[in-house]
Order: sequence, then structure tokens, then C-alpha cells
Amino acid sequence: MLAYIVRRLLYTPLIVFGVLLITFALFNLVQGDVAASIAGKNATPQVIAEIQAEYGWDKPLFINLPDVPEHGVLAVFDSQFFNHLWNSVTFDFGRSIQSKQAVSGLLARGAIPSLSLTVPMFFASLLASVSIGLFVAFYRGRWIDTTTVTVCVLGMSLPSLAVIIFGQYFFAYQLGWFPIQGYEPGVNAARYLVLPVLLGVLMGLGSSVRFYRTIMLDEIRADYIRTAYAKGLATPKVLFKHLLKNAMIPIITSTVLAIPFLFLGSLLLERFFGIPGLGYLMIEAIGGRDFPVINAMTFIIAILFVLGNLLTDVCYALVDPRVSLS
Amino acid sequence: MTHPPRIGRHGRSFPGPRGFAGPLGSAPRLTTLCAALVVGFTLLPGCGGGGERQADVEAGLKVRYQALGAKVRGMDPMDVGDVLGAGITSNIYEPLYQYHYLKRPYEIVPCLAAAMPEVSDDGLTVTIKVRDDVVFQDDECFPGGKGRPVVAEDFIYSWKRLADIKNVSKNWWVLDGRIAGLNAFREYTQGVERKQDVDYDRAVSGLEAVDDHTLRITLTKPWPQIRYYLAYLPTSVVPREAVERYGDEFLNHPVGTGPYVLDEWQRGSRIVLTRNPTFRDERYPSEGEPGDEEAGLLEDAGKQLPFIDKQVFTIIEEDQPAWLKLMNGDVDVGGIPKDNYGGSITPQRELTDELKAKGLELYIYDRPVTFWYGFNMEAPELRDNLPLRRALNLALNRVEYLDLFLNGRGIPAPKIVPPPPLFEAYDEPIDSPYTSFDLDRAKQYVEEAKQAAGGELPELVLSLGGTDTTQRQVGEYLTRLYKTELGLDFRVDFMDWPTLQEKTKTKQVQMFGMGWEADIPDPENFFALFYGPNKSPGNNNMNYQDDAFDALYERLKVMEPGPERTALARQMEQIIVDDLPCVFIAHTTSFRLQYKWCENYKPNVYGYGLMKYQDLDAEMRREMLGR
Repeated sequence: MLAYIVRRLLYTPLIVFGVLLITFALFNLVQGDVAASIAGKNATPQVIAEIQAEYGWDKPLFINLPDVPEHGVLAVFDSQFFNHLWNSVTFDFGRSIQSKQAVSGLLARGAIPSLSLTVPMFFASLLASVSIGLFVAFYRGRWIDTTTVTVCVLGMSLPSLAVIIFGQYFFAYQLGWFPIQGYEPGVNAARYLVLPVLLGVLMGLGSSVRFYRTIMLDEIRADYIRTAYAKGLATPKVLFKHLLKNAMIPIITSTVLAIPFLFLGSLLLERFFGIPGLGYLMIEAIGGRDFPVINAMTFIIAILFVLGNLLTDVCYALVDPRVSLS
Repeated sequence: MTHPPRIGRHGRSFPGPRGFAGPLGSAPRLTTLCAALVVGFTLLPGCGGGGERQADVEAGLKVRYQALGAKVRGMDPMDVGDVLGAGITSNIYEPLYQYHYLKRPYEIVPCLAAAMPEVSDDGLTVTIKVRDDVVFQDDECFPGGKGRPVVAEDFIYSWKRLADIKNVSKNWWVLDGRIAGLNAFREYTQGVERKQDVDYDRAVSGLEAVDDHTLRITLTKPWPQIRYYLAYLPTSVVPREAVERYGDEFLNHPVGTGPYVLDEWQRGSRIVLTRNPTFRDERYPSEGEPGDEEAGLLEDAGKQLPFIDKQVFTIIEEDQPAWLKLMNGDVDVGGIPKDNYGGSITPQRELTDELKAKGLELYIYDRPVTFWYGFNMEAPELRDNLPLRRALNLALNRVEYLDLFLNGRGIPAPKIVPPPPLFEAYDEPIDSPYTSFDLDRAKQYVEEAKQAAGGELPELVLSLGGTDTTQRQVGEYLTRLYKTELGLDFRVDFMDWPTLQEKTKTKQVQMFGMGWEADIPDPENFFALFYGPNKSPGNNNMNYQDDAFDALYERLKVMEPGPERTALARQMEQIIVDDLPCVFIAHTTSFRLQYKWCENYKPNVYGYGLMKYQDLDAEMRREMLGR
């Protein structure tokens, strides 16, 4: 297994290089006039050109041949892409073009509020949906199963925005059970996070319950379940020891692969509840053509995704003896 | 000792399929847990919820709570480029001049200056006396943590920072080409390899500290608007010690001279400003305009500023939570979201009884803003077809447009400069026969336009920045208007804002939606948008060129306010409305709600750092809110 892990890790630089190349190419393909927006509303063309030079946007995109005669062969790498590549791999994300804040600081400050929201939401949602999925699968075809599926479909039909707007209005404003909006660092954050977490769980429950119900239904009809009952095992043992373990592969796939995206936060919930996370940072960065922020976010997500994939494979081997990593 | 009933103790298992016991032997325990969680969650908000508020009340502090509609990116005056950021930062940093809080038309008065500037007869030398009682706020960048007095040299340093290309300031345009030697200093900084190697002791010929409290500025050409720009936040004074100590993080460590200091800044969430204990002796104005006394705006005349001890800003980017927090009394001041307008404002533009009963008051005021659909005047199909431009202007029902998309929060714009009293010494009866709605005339002009084009008219494409629902609705409306009603080959191209900016700067648009908010109460600010040498990528995005207009602009730009200048401005406006390089749409109006315990508020659309004048009756708030 170790050899497999090492081999997979060796692929990582290639994947990350590809991601950086694509991000850079896309950004340069659709890039708006960032220098003009930095220069302010009354800027002259000369000022815009000065800013382009200051940020190195006047350099060649990939290969800097013009500077080779004067500065030597290494100057060929003094291009926008190679500078971007070097800065990324050394984790020097620089400063946001729009706000001039250090990108690492923006990410560090946003990550905790985002994760404070998404991690409990994720685990609560997982726990609830797997439990409900198992429960209704066990009672498949009964009224409780039909009702649950119907409610799930209805829940999936409700736009997230409507759930948030209603939840905030009713539970926070009308009933006064929760703060309407806000965030404080530390343990005080909990009081602001309860309602968005509950709403987040509620919004995701419909589709995930249906997903896990389907998985459980596949397993509950399997021969080994019948065999287990035939051997006289108690229902809890059959379900929690045998069925759940066999259902782990799809659960792990959907769970571990979702973990990197927890880092991105939740756009709508963060906006409506004033949680200063990363959910909106990326959107703002794209809107403002703030490449250092976009690059840092993409780079980190790419690395997390690669690691998440690797972790998924390792988990397969751990929970399923039929899977071997070689 | 009694025990609470144990929830689920008598719960029974669900009968399972095939007759065996269900799996939920633990269901009652789960139910108990859920119930406990719900109770816990319900109680949690009550724990410490109003703790800070209560502590402030007990300490006898006057605290005002406000919502901010966007995150504040940084607090370096050199880089503040948005209204909200400036609204906060200007309470910490101050420039030499400021707008009189009460007088209208807007009037400039000294702030850190001791008197109004003395301008030489040729208009090229400006001498300014700096107050001798101003100190920087206490900060650890100073020896012993005590702020030192502000001297003339500090302004020279601050303006060199604006010029330094290594700082890539958004606001260099304010001083660009104005002060002798400052552009040369900028060129010098371009040649310096590293930011920290820029020599700020290098002399700039046009900036001289005659003594600690006298500043002499030599201009490259007369600049009558200088007094406005010396009241503009980016020209505020910053201490060199703080910039050098905090480096790139200076934007997060503001050290100014203003009435408030930054006490707490939870990025993206909350900002708290508290009273600056070393703020100079500055008093509330003793005179205003007619009506101010009756409105109670002079009751605090002559009193030391500021009145409020603590300003708490919560960043709320969505309309619904901002509105709910205002209705709840969690914030004292707010706007009216589009979706709440109908339920809040009567057709007579008054507050509904329900909101009045809550203790809210409504302020309506015009902003120096104009929106338009610009024509790229280098596109021959538009430049050479005046009847077409007239038709496009005549066909737009501006009143209907305002009602549909702005809740009527604005006034139709028949021309570029918003009406008085937003602009000093400028009153403008302009003959504008093509900018009021007349569909029949518009259709006649379409026929003329076809003749002018020699037959069929080419396709017209309007580029709009924004892909949200409102922009889409605007697009539908204009398509109906121009395509269905006028029979033009018209379509709308939606794109995000940076793309639209890029396309206008590179002249790749034919028609485009845009607007402008004036920085200063001088119509020159709007006329610059039509000045030939400012064509794209400058701010003349319409690429309008008219020699007569340009000649008038060059005269007006260096002329002091007065009847002659006003007459020039009228001529220039007339040229614009005759030539119609755009479809003028609207000037916007702001609606502000605040509880009646907020005092001394008067709308001021140009000034910053105005919180020092405002007060509140904390006792009234406690009585009305019960907390």
C-alpha cells in the first residue's frame, strides 16, 4: 500500500501543474482590464500601462525570448506563467489585486468560519441522511418509506434560497430563537452557526437521503443479509455490522470526495448569515479578476482534491478486504 | 428531588418487516438527544446575546449600530476606492479640508488646515496653513505609543505615497499632472527595484514645507478644484512612522488624526470604532441653511465633537438580513431593499404607518449620479446618424423605467449634470427636446435614420454589465422598446462588469450601460467624460469628440466659479444634449431609514468623516426597544 501511496503522490505535481496551466490560460483568455480597474476611474492610458508593468503583465505569457540576449538564457523563464508557477509552488500567493490584503491572510481568516459552518453541516447531514436512509430502506414500501421519499422529493424541489429566506425570517426574526445574522470568533461563533447549520442540513437532506436509501436498498436485498438473519443474528447487528460495512464503498466515495469542498464554504449561507468565510471570496475574486486569489483557491482545492482521492482509495482498502492497493 | 420525565422512555420499537424487531432499539435515546439539542440550540442565542450591548449601556456609552452592505477591503486612504470603505476610513483619517456639514450649496471649510488656501494671482501657487493642535492617534509606531503633532511635511509624505508607483494607488489620478515635480517623482519610483528602496526624502519641486505649519504647493497649471480634492479622502495625512512600521499591513493598522480610532476589525464581519481621546478641539457648526434650526440641527451648535462614543458596523451583504435587523432594532440606520419598498413607502413617498409606529424616520435625497446608455461615437452607424440617436432617446420612457427598475427612486435625466443643489454655482435651464418620452416622434426619427443610413439600419447591440435578474429584466424591457416598438434590429449582450470595462476601454462596444457619481460638486467632473483627449481607455468611454466642446472644457477647467463659468457650463451641456452621444436615463435618489433616537443627521453626498456630527438618544432607544 505504501508503494501505491508514494506513486500516487508522485503524480500530484503533474496534476497541480496541469491545474495551474489551465487556470492561467483561462484567466488570460477571459481577463478583463484589471489594470484599468486598479488605476481608478479617471486613469490615463499611461497610468494603466505603468500598472501593467508594475505587476509584470507586460511580460510575455509563457516564454520570454526578447530578454534572453540581454539577461541570459534563464531569462526565458521570466514570463507571466513561470512567475505564476514559481509563486504557487512556493506558496507565495502574494496580495489580492483588489484589496491588497495578503492572500494567505484572506484564506486563513476565511477558512475557520467556513469550516465552522461546513464541517458540522457535513457531518450532521451525513449522520442524518445515512440513518434516515437506512431506516426507510428497512421499512421499504411502508407508509413511512413512501412519506419520507415524498418529503425528500418535495425538499429537493424547494430552492435553497427560499429555505434560507424562510428559515431566517421565521426562526430568527419571528420566533427570535436565533440571531438574525452575525459572527464572532471563538466559541461565541456557535450561537450564530446553529441556524445556518440546521438550514444547510435541511437543504441537503432530500437528495442525500434518497441517495443513501438507494444504496441501502441494494444491500438490504443481498443474500448475505438473508443469511445473517437465517443464522439468527439480531437486526441491529445485521444492519450496523454487516449491511453498513458493505455499504461503505459508496458512502466513502461521496464523503471523502466532498471533504475538499468543505474548504470552499457555503456561498448562500455565508452571505445571508454574515459568516466571513471563503464562500464568497472566490466569487468576488472571479468578478474582480483577482487572479492571486483565484489561483490560490484553485491551487489549494486541487491539492486537497488529489489528497482526497488518495484517501478514498486507502479507505476502500481498509473497509473492503477485496480491494488491494498495489 | 424530582426528575424530569425521560423523553421516549415508553417509546416502542416500530414493527419491522418480516415480523422481526425493528432496528431502532435506540430510537428513544435518539429522540432524547434530538430534543436536548433543540432545547440547547433554542437557549444558546440567549446566552450572552446582548452581553456587549448591556455592558455598553451600563458603562453609559453612546453606541450607534449600523449595517455595512459590503466588506471593507482596507483602511489606507491612498487605496480607498469605494463609498463604504471611505465612509469608515474617513472617520480615522482626515484631509486638509472638509465640506460644511449643514450649508448648501456645498461649501468647503478647513479641517486640518487652519484657514482656506491662499492662491497666487496666476493660480499656480497655493499656500496652506496647517493647524498646530492636531496630533496623530496614539499608536505603538510612535515613541512611547503617544501620537506626535502633525506637520506640513506629513502631507508631502502622504502625497508622495500616492505618486509612488510601487504603491499602485487607485487614487493617483487625483494628483496626476497637477503638482510640479510629482510626476517626476513617480517616474523615479518606476526605476526603483524594490518598494522599500524608494527614497521619500527626495525633493519634489512643487511641494514645500515652508515651516512646520505652512505648506506651499506649486501647480503645473491653475487648478480651481484643488480645494475639493484637498477635502478628498485619498489626500488625507498619514504618519510615516506607521507606514514604515507596518509596511504592507499598514492598510490593516490605520493611524490617523480623526475623531475615531479602530478598536476592533473582524474581517468581513464587524468593525468597531471608538472615540479618539486625543482628538483636537473641533466644534459642531453654529450655522446652516434655512430650515436647519427648525429641524433641530443646530441644537448642538458649538459643542465638542464627536458625540457618539462607539460606532459598531456589522457587515450584512444581503438585503433580507439587513432589513430584518433594522426592523428588529439591532441596527439604528439602514436603507430600503427593492423587495421591501412597496411595503414601506406609500405612493406619496412617505413611510407607512407601521414603520412610523416603530419609530423610524425617512430621509430622501438626490445623489450626484447619472446613468446612461452610451454610444460608441467612433462607430460610424451611430456617429453619423443623429436621427437614430434622437430616436433612441425619445423612445425611452424614463418615468416608467424608474418605476420598474428603481422603485421610482430617482428622477429622469434629460441631460448629464444632475439638478441643483448638488453642484456649486450651477443652475441649468437647458433646452433638451429629445430626451423626454415621445414614441411617435421616435418613430419619425427612425424613418429619418433609415434615410440617413441609405436604407436599412444596421444591428444595434447594447452591452450591459451584470447578468443578474434585474439586468435581464432591463434587457427585456429595452428589447421590447427598441425592437418591437421602434422596429430596430436590436439586441442586448450581457456580460460581467470587468468584461464590459475591458470592452469599453478597448472600444469594442457599440452601445453600453454605464453611470457616474461625481466626486466633487463641480460639473467639470461630468464634462470630463466627454472631453476628446479623455477617449478610451480614458474615462470618455463614448469616445465623443467635439472641438467646440473641448475648447470650452479647457477654459472651464481652469476657471474659478462664477457667472462666466456657469455660462460656459450651460453651453457645454447644450452641445451634449444637441449631439446626444448617449441615452440619458436617470439621476438616482437615496432613501435612508433611521430610528428617531438618531440625531443631527443631514444628508451630505460628498463629505466623508461625518459621523462626528451625529448623535443619538440612548435613553430613548432603551425605552422604545426595551433593551
